[in-house]
Amino acid sequence: MGKSWNLHTQDGIGILEFDCPDTEVNVLTAENMAELRDVLVEIPKRSEIKALIIVSAKKRIFIAGADIKEIQNISTEEDAFKKAEHGKQVVQLLEDLNIPTVTVINGACLGGGYELALATKYRVASFSEKVQIGLPEVKLGILPGFGGSIRLPRLLGLLKALPLILAGKVIPSKDALKNGMVDRLFPEGTLRENAVEFAKEIVQGKINGISSGRQLKRKSNWFLEGTPFGRSLVFKQAKQNVLKETKGFYPAPLQIIDLVRRTCGRKGQSVFQEESRDFSKLAVTPVSKSLIKVFFMMEQYKKFPWTDISGKVPSVNKCGVLGAGVMGGGIAQLVSYKSIPVRVKDINEKALAGALKEAWRIYGGALKRRKITAYDRDYKMGLISVGLTNDGLRRADIIIEAVVENLEIKQKVFKELSELTDAHVILASNTSSLSVNQLADVSKSPERVVGLHFFNPVHRMPLVEIVPSSRTSREVLERTIRFSRTLGKTVIVVKDVPGFLVNRLLLPYMNEAAYLVEEGVLPEELDRIAEQFGMPMGPVELVDQVGIDVGYKVAHNLSEAYGERMKVSSVLEEAKQKGLLGKKSGRGFYIYHGKEKKLNPDFKFQKFAKPIPQEEVMKRLIYIMVNEAARCLDEKVVNDPSTVDIGMIMGTGFSPFRAGLLRYADQVGLPNILADLERFQKSVNRARFEPSPLLERLAETNQTFYQ
Amino acid sequence: MEQITIVDGVRTPFVKAWTLFDRLPAQTLGALCVRELLERTEIDPNLIDEVIIGCVAQPIDAANVSRVISLSSGIPKSKKAYTVNRNCASGFEALTSAIEKIQTGSDEIVVAGGAESMSNAPLAFSKEAAALFMKLGRTKTFLDRLKVFTQFRPKHFKPIAVLQLALTDPICGLNMGETAEVLARKFGISRKDQDLFALESHKRVISGREKLREETMTVFIPPKYEHYVQEDNGPREQQSLEALAKLKPVFDRRSGTVTAGNSSQITDGACALLVMPEARAKSLGYQILGMIRAYEYVGLEPSEMGLGPAFAIEKVLRKTKLKLKDIELFEINEAFAVQVLACLRALNSTSFAKENFSNGEVVGEINPNLLNVNGGGIALGHPVGVSGARLVLTCLKEMKRRGLHLGLVSLCVGGGQGGAFILERE
Repeated sequence: MGKSWNLHTQDGIGILEFDCPDTEVNVLTAENMAELRDVLVEIPKRSEIKALIIVSAKKRIFIAGADIKEIQNISTEEDAFKKAEHGKQVVQLLEDLNIPTVTVINGACLGGGYELALATKYRVASFSEKVQIGLPEVKLGILPGFGGSIRLPRLLGLLKALPLILAGKVIPSKDALKNGMVDRLFPEGTLRENAVEFAKEIVQGKINGISSGRQLKRKSNWFLEGTPFGRSLVFKQAKQNVLKETKGFYPAPLQIIDLVRRTCGRKGQSVFQEESRDFSKLAVTPVSKSLIKVFFMMEQYKKFPWTDISGKVPSVNKCGVLGAGVMGGGIAQLVSYKSIPVRVKDINEKALAGALKEAWRIYGGALKRRKITAYDRDYKMGLISVGLTNDGLRRADIIIEAVVENLEIKQKVFKELSELTDAHVILASNTSSLSVNQLADVSKSPERVVGLHFFNPVHRMPLVEIVPSSRTSREVLERTIRFSRTLGKTVIVVKDVPGFLVNRLLLPYMNEAAYLVEEGVLPEELDRIAEQFGMPMGPVELVDQVGIDVGYKVAHNLSEAYGERMKVSSVLEEAKQKGLLGKKSGRGFYIYHGKEKKLNPDFKFQKFAKPIPQEEVMKRLIYIMVNEAARCLDEKVVNDPSTVDIGMIMGTGFSPFRAGLLRYADQVGLPNILADLERFQKSVNRARFEPSPLLERLAETNQTFYQ
Repeated sequence: MEQITIVDGVRTPFVKAWTLFDRLPAQTLGALCVRELLERTEIDPNLIDEVIIGCVAQPIDAANVSRVISLSSGIPKSKKAYTVNRNCASGFEALTSAIEKIQTGSDEIVVAGGAESMSNAPLAFSKEAAALFMKLGRTKTFLDRLKVFTQFRPKHFKPIAVLQLALTDPICGLNMGETAEVLARKFGISRKDQDLFALESHKRVISGREKLREETMTVFIPPKYEHYVQEDNGPREQQSLEALAKLKPVFDRRSGTVTAGNSSQITDGACALLVMPEARAKSLGYQILGMIRAYEYVGLEPSEMGLGPAFAIEKVLRKTKLKLKDIELFEINEAFAVQVLACLRALNSTSFAKENFSNGEVVGEINPNLLNVNGGGIALGHPVGVSGARLVLTCLKEMKRRGLHLGLVSLCVGGGQGGAFILERE
């Protein structure tokens, strides 16, 4: 390993440059932290150094944080405690320097990187969009352990610092200047020169140059920050919010609140040890280990090479959307949000107006959350145009079909579109349960037909399933993947089987819930059990959310395809008979009034004499998915267990703290799951719980899905 | 010279000011329209070199409204755009600017048109009041502010309607309607003749609705998108001569003849045309809507601005060595019924020709059955910056329907000008 830290001086200013050798990324490791210590202890001895600036040699990154692999490998609390203490002692050396110190942030400055920056007296950054600043540790189930949990509240005050640490929010430089996380911004091209000048001016006493954000701290909030009573209110509120959001599954935010509560306002060094102690508690939790696995998985899938094409492919400069329903409107909104013009076609004006309404509603939400300005909204809305004819579709690079889920209609659409457009135009279907191959069959030049399955709501759900038919060309597949990534989606490529991956797993879950209702478990009870397991939404509410009409249709398609094991439950049939639609109409299994929901009295839900134990319910709901996922792996619907897990986490919100459906299964132990499935086969239903061959094979040899 | 063609065009419905498009500024109307043109013609926006938009009441929040329209319609940022203003002929000017830009080789493919929201013409403060507001903005202390406040008088808060000002000629001091009265007196055109002409305009639009649909697009109205507009809302199905006769003259209460009923309406709308050389249109595989054979503008006495078409038509015919009888279809913008009628008389008058035309020759009689066959500004409205482009579009579409070869469109221009085009189809 080469040297990571290089110190040289220029006009009395020490310039300490960080440059991790042989990589594009700067991260803090035990090794380079030790090296930093050696540099820092020398500095006080060199009287010619009047001020110190810390810079990065990398183009896009200051310091991306501590090495996550090191955190992942921590196995004991003592180990964690030691690591945190070692790191923060080095950081402390920096803070204790008796000369002006400035951190110069030219790119990502995250976690440990910003904790280091917090130990210098000033922080400057460039105006560049590459600058991303924050303490995102909480997202990995830990807390800032190099003094960040202590120093950020000291810098910004409690009210500003606590939400930043709790949400792990990463912000651009202009916001960081506003809230005081940095003191000055300079142009990217002259950042280092400007920083040297800045340091010189400090030495000359010309600047006591801290940002207005810092100066403002505490002035306006003396009550909430300055009084014990006020502070206790803040912590109480923060705790309530966290519990509401995490349902108590994630220990890190609670630990952060507790730590900040204990240390806020206290001087001295003991607080830092408390931070290390709390860090070490979190670092060994299974939740943190899971979140780190999910983090790596997400990073991997952002760039996963699904095809062997790595060079340039034609990009999408114009998009067509067929069908102006909720999905069509949502897709149009997302495409326009990425500044790509989109033309939406439907068969009547009312539908077209609906798509515009939907897009406007979504933009309205973004405006409210200040993610965009009114100018952005008006411009981007203008990129959506609508019409009843094929005008505007011929020139599109991709046309996404989102019409009603009916094979005959879709085939008609694909035949027409394929005759209308040139062979370079991608014809994508947003079908959720129909066969992409059957759409390709009727199309002219079928190699450009592909499934592109978005999830509802389109702008929020981060996953798309891309489904090539047996004839889809590699280039079309790659172009569709790149386009989806332009839209900010994570892609999984799935084989063309009914329900693809996500719906094929989710439907048995919902269907099993319906069977459990038949057997006398109340819907509310069911939803509670699922949520307690960590599902973002219980199965009965999920059916309402998806829409009973849509769910029923998908359920039927799947039951036709997979036979007895996906037979639609009679409760779902009953709901369909009653003409209930679910949340969108306000009436489903529940009746919705704004945010309130109560059971629909139209159903005669009965609680049976012999209650089913909670654990049994949970197992039936989850294991039926595990079993179906094993079938998917066997049938090569997806390439890898991690694809199943990323699909479930990003497509359904499957609890990230369990690191995914199959990771969870591995943890439970496949022999245990097999035994339960066999038991359910006898006690509940033979077909639905018939163990998949892969599960049997793995369980018999005591293996796991992940090798 | 290269033959310049209009590949296709589209317009929004024309909507009476302060009604359905009340909240849509000119840039929004223009962008919707240009975008629809791009969709209908399936042209790659990368090929558009320039967007030229006519607009008279330029929106105060969109300087160079053409640029805003260009970007908002999805045309790449690297493309150019500018706004033109030749008052009521701004829509013409956009087209002739496009032709000139193409013929001189600086552009090849241009979107030309007009966008006007007369609903959004602002109210202004007097210079005196503005000075006080400015002073107020510069004060630092409460006391200073109070001092300035005491200088305000009620009159300072009386706004000036900019639209009203825009419709007044600053040279002769007459309102446009008053210039119409000048012509009524000069040619002795009766109130009844004017009302009959106005009634015909409504009738023709009503019976031509189906045809006009071919040139209009559907506009969905933000922010709720609960309403959409497909039809021009100016024409009145029930319009009758009696109803027209009941209206009071607006510009000369006692002895005038010009009423709200026989004048054009104040209207919002936009229109866009795709313009390029014939060879280029053919290489892109377009069915060409029509070509521009020639055009001319003239200047004349501002107080008789309504006679602009008479002068412009004479000039453009002379230039092309065409006779009036060669022309198979006419569109003359109906700013005022009396003004169109005055032009017809002037063109067919020996004495007028002697006094005003360089060769002294009478131009001839325009057959009323070939003039404004689908109605005009009295029923449809006259969004000033748009009408020129609309006339060309309407005329070419009708020529296509009838299979005609030559058409002529013309309009009068506030400030004392006239403009005329000879349109051609193969």
